[in-house]
Amino acid sequence: MKISYNWLKEYVNFYLSAQELADKLANAGLVVADIQSVEDDFCLDVEVTSNRPDCLGVIGIAREVAAVVGAGVQFPETNYTSADIEVSKLISIAVEEPILCPHYTARVVRHITVKPSPEWMQKRLKCIGLRPVNNIVDITNYVMMETGQPLHAFDLDKLSDQKIIVRRAKSGEEIVAINGARRALFHDMLVIADGKRPVAIAGIMGGKDTEVSESTRHILLECAQFEPRQVRRTSKATGIASDSSYRFERAVDPEGVELASKRAVKLIKDFAEGEVAHGVIDIRSGKYEKKRITLRIERLNKVLGLEIKRTIASDILKRLQFNILNEVETGFKPVSTFIDVEVPSYRGDVYREIDLIEEIARIYGYNNIPTKTSISVRGSVKSKYEIVEDAVRQFLIGIGFYEAKTFSIVDTSPLQSVNLWSDRVGIDIANPLRQEESRLRTCLLPSLIRAKIYNMNHGVEQVRIFEIAKVYLAGEKLPEEKTCLSILADMDYLTLKGIVESLLVSLGITSKCEWVTFAGSILFKADKSTKIQLGNNILGYMGEAKELEFKTSSCMVELDLDLLVKMSNFAKYFQTLSQFPPVLRDLAIIVDEGVAWASIEKCIAAANISFMTAINFFDIYRGKQIPSGKKSIAFNLCFQSSDRTLKSEEVDVAQQMILDSLYKTLGAELRKQCKIL
Amino acid sequence: MLEKLEEVKKNIHSEIKSVTALKDAEQLKIKYLGRKGIIQDFMKLIPSLPAEQRAAIGLRINSLKTEVANIVDELLKRFSGEITSKATHEIFDVTLPGKRPLVGKKHPLTQTIDDIKEVFARLGFDVVYGPEVESEYYNFEALNIPADHPSRTDFDTFYIKNDMLLRSQTSTVQIRVMEKQKPPIRIIAPGRVYRPDTVDARHSFMFHQAEGLLVDEGVSFADLRGVLNQFIKTYFGQDVHVRFRPSFFPFTEPSAEVDISCSLCKGKGCSVCSYSGWVEILGAGMVDPNVFKAVHYDAEKYTGFAFGIGVERITMLKYGINDIRLFYENDIRFLSQF
Repeated sequence: MKISYNWLKEYVNFYLSAQELADKLANAGLVVADIQSVEDDFCLDVEVTSNRPDCLGVIGIAREVAAVVGAGVQFPETNYTSADIEVSKLISIAVEEPILCPHYTARVVRHITVKPSPEWMQKRLKCIGLRPVNNIVDITNYVMMETGQPLHAFDLDKLSDQKIIVRRAKSGEEIVAINGARRALFHDMLVIADGKRPVAIAGIMGGKDTEVSESTRHILLECAQFEPRQVRRTSKATGIASDSSYRFERAVDPEGVELASKRAVKLIKDFAEGEVAHGVIDIRSGKYEKKRITLRIERLNKVLGLEIKRTIASDILKRLQFNILNEVETGFKPVSTFIDVEVPSYRGDVYREIDLIEEIARIYGYNNIPTKTSISVRGSVKSKYEIVEDAVRQFLIGIGFYEAKTFSIVDTSPLQSVNLWSDRVGIDIANPLRQEESRLRTCLLPSLIRAKIYNMNHGVEQVRIFEIAKVYLAGEKLPEEKTCLSILADMDYLTLKGIVESLLVSLGITSKCEWVTFAGSILFKADKSTKIQLGNNILGYMGEAKELEFKTSSCMVELDLDLLVKMSNFAKYFQTLSQFPPVLRDLAIIVDEGVAWASIEKCIAAANISFMTAINFFDIYRGKQIPSGKKSIAFNLCFQSSDRTLKSEEVDVAQQMILDSLYKTLGAELRKQCKIL
Repeated sequence: MLEKLEEVKKNIHSEIKSVTALKDAEQLKIKYLGRKGIIQDFMKLIPSLPAEQRAAIGLRINSLKTEVANIVDELLKRFSGEITSKATHEIFDVTLPGKRPLVGKKHPLTQTIDDIKEVFARLGFDVVYGPEVESEYYNFEALNIPADHPSRTDFDTFYIKNDMLLRSQTSTVQIRVMEKQKPPIRIIAPGRVYRPDTVDARHSFMFHQAEGLLVDEGVSFADLRGVLNQFIKTYFGQDVHVRFRPSFFPFTEPSAEVDISCSLCKGKGCSVCSYSGWVEILGAGMVDPNVFKAVHYDAEKYTGFAFGIGVERITMLKYGINDIRLFYENDIRFLSQF
């Protein structure tokens, strides 16, 4: 809320510059976001939190200043003289919805002169960014800004049947508001109506038809209270927000109507001449009762970590205009352990002991509360998820990958709609800001492709990036949030596959993955794409990127990180180092083009040679000496025993068993062999 | 005989001084150590010596030979560099750049989250995570933010459908943890949050928060000050000034916003701190009794504090990053700086 420095000084005495005042207010909870000098005045933009509607008026801010500097508050002049005619002779008021409008008052001023408001008033309104209109409108605005209580003036001659009814809107009714907006009204909206039609949307904005104009002679001044939620809902539904609705939504002072109404009438009498009808029409449901709260001094000190005495606490509460009910030690029983207080009507936010504790902390000064530097011991253990996440990051950055972070909300293009994990479509946002961010992603890779393109367009050719983030898969009720690890790198398929394999080893995952041909995604080139199976679960998908714009060939993989966490195993057991020399046998076999390495490996493993320790692929060859439709695959076998030196003959036997099995199962023929000892 | 050997020794030491090039050294070698050299001449004399002197003289000649050989070797080595360079015209350039292995980096936001986790883990906080797609209950109601309440204005939210939304704060995790666990509780919950803010240099519809919660018997606002002070000084440096300011959050009472002295202007006032000398870095407060009520904790017995750190915000302040969008563009030239 914007306030004028000079205006504020009218209600409270303080000797602080605008900047000093701003610092003091900030320490009490009112941040001054900006200070502008306006002619001989300053405009302070005060940020008022939603729990403090009492500070949405200059008097409210003055009360805070008074509490901070320890001064008193001077209230504005409200006395005026009225004519003999009774207001009830001029207008009748009916409130049909006492819950939505608990308090309605009307006063009437006749024979006014509509003209510009006095210069001092215009200056103050301009200082806080309001445009002066005429004396009547300016006075209602001025008093609202002064007291925080909105008011509205109707042109009395334009109200049909000299009647005001506070009721729900009827179907088919509509209104043109003062700002020119035409709105259809509905039964759940509260309106101010005359004998025929709605003349204002209650608490939000008056109607154009009945607004005060140059020709207005008599006015009805409304000063009322409306139920906050009702105002909020209607303001949202009509799309009309105003300084008035802003205040009603946050709740105005239930005892504030009288002061604001009288103050406005006094100013109208002073600056628009006119004749005030005697009395007021005041319709109020129920009586407001001030809240009483007990504050235990022990509790206060326990919550804040302080050791202050009752007198300090009660002094602060008094400065904040709280009425202390058990003031002095009466009789024999000491009252030093608690304070009974009565809360001022405008402090709707204070209704519990803890709220009083905050009030005391605020004025005592948060920075005067000690800083405790000891804390009890509690062990904290890293979860397996965290261990794996850290290990994955360390592994990848160690081999030259940068970690990326991309948005979880994406567009609905075919690329971004890729879903490797489920058949269901992505989850849409009901209220997106833009089409570009309207759906929760089901795959991280399209975002990494974007990052790759972004880098390419900015002159970075080689990209190696990864991201750890969630994909969102529609479920029966709540979506499944699956954490994935995705990698994009300008490298060939086998290099990236090797990285994945090493990563699994580094996480202690010893079970073998199955790499199954997979042609089901638009992300990958069909012939260089695979599904990775780990036990009975899908670990992920990998392949060469199909993106045509790439100058380099990129490969990508998306893995289920939750599965990696589940399968990881960091328990380690020492293996005795063999004292005996290994025997290596290099072999090359000729097989049909369609025979996969995985089946060769499987076949060799099936021979079950107890002293064979490794199978290492090293080359694939197609060419002159190889018949067409066939390929030569070279690899070596490593034999080693932990308890003896292997004899050449027993390795020969084992090797022959393997070759026989390869021949029988896969039709593989031995091409060449070399012995390395 | 012995005197002659001493003379040779003297001569050789004076001749060394005149050796200025490799060829001089080679000549010296031939003169003394060659087949017809001076030492060999002495050797030839040995058989003609009396038998009892032969062993002793022989030893002296050998020791002289070793000495001369060492001197000549040294000279040859000293001048042989010249011959190599003349032969190949190549000098190894020790100033050439080294061959660097590729090294990547964690995203700066991950680094900040790691820093946060590190400080709080030392204070006994466990790291926990919660879902991003949430119900209104966890995002609002249980956190004391009723429907149609003006405080909801501060929490604009992306909805998926009725009662399903993207969390607008990590405070949701507080409720989920307290529902399952009894005090004492110490958690830190980092993660992504979403708000329908139009993207510009300071706003993003997705950003990161780290939520902290400590609940126990006898926890006070003074503890909150101590714990946050510890974090802030570790992250921003020991000389930073910290200011607690009253504020309002529905789920804490008393509530505070925490400012640090502006690192750019050192508190004098600049555009980064809106000329106030302070920049806001986080929100915090004592857990509101209404939140305890929602999770069936005895608010009379237990007290606690909670805080929420804007991860992007503190990262930007620490490194002087002026545009939040840089975090999500993933430009390697940006990522490689941290």
